[in-house]
Amino acid sequence: MNNQLKVLRAMRNWSQAELADRLDVSRQAVNAIETGKYDPSLPLAFKLARLFAMPIEEIFDDGHEGQDDGH
Amino acid sequence: MMDIEPQKRRAPSMVWPIAIGLGTAMLAGGFAGYNQSAAENGDAVLAPWIGPVVAILIGGLALAYYVRRYADWFRNWSPRKRLYWVSLTLSCALGFVAAMVMQSGTSGPEGLFSNAAMTPTVAIGLSVMWVVGLTIALVLYHRTVDDHERRAYHLGGLAGFYAFVFPCPVWWVLWRADLAPPVEAMPLFALSLAANALFYFWFKFR
Repeated sequence: MNNQLKVLRAMRNWSQAELADRLDVSRQAVNAIETGKYDPSLPLAFKLARLFAMPIEEIFDDGHEGQDDGH
Repeated sequence: MMDIEPQKRRAPSMVWPIAIGLGTAMLAGGFAGYNQSAAENGDAVLAPWIGPVVAILIGGLALAYYVRRYADWFRNWSPRKRLYWVSLTLSCALGFVAAMVMQSGTSGPEGLFSNAAMTPTVAIGLSVMWVVGLTIALVLYHRTVDDHERRAYHLGGLAGFYAFVFPCPVWWVLWRADLAPPVEAMPLFALSLAANALFYFWFKFR
């Protein structure tokens, strides 16, 4: 799953360790999400959305935009 | 609402905790060496648990001094992160003491997995320490581990499970046909642990 985490982090001039501290997860977790090796759980995705004050779907993109309308 | 800024100060050097760990192992090794030479000379030997316990106590004091010296940095850790590291340190200390006690009186790493006779006191002490200590460490670990590491832990656990269920029956039927030696628990335990560690570290740090 693609995501904007690296861009959003860079816009705030945060290191991976700083973002990890704000989310209360390990730096490896932030790195794995940024590089697409790991998709976060729903609670962590909500935490990210709250931290960046953005909807989850603006941070994460599963590549199926608009295809789920009407099932 | 005021946002709590994460600590921007540089983390203290990791050299000291590593040096303390190595020093602790060397100290315990010194006690083991003393016991070995005393046994070879026919002199009285110390109880096998004395060396590891003294080493752990001194190592623990050194680690406590290190944490105190960088208290400001550690104070900024979240409660989750603090408990997480407590659980890891406790697990390492348990493994270290168990390994040192089991290896005491042997001349190499083979002591860890040998079937050599053990006194009931040492056997009961090790069993109680393993079950009680590991239970406490694991409860703390599972309460504090983050999303990403939980996944690595689960995948590592699955790999460890498969590393047991595939070779175990194969070995057993081969033994029944007299094509293999009798099934032993320790090689299977070691294989399972190795597979677990390999997958855990891969998914955690790749």
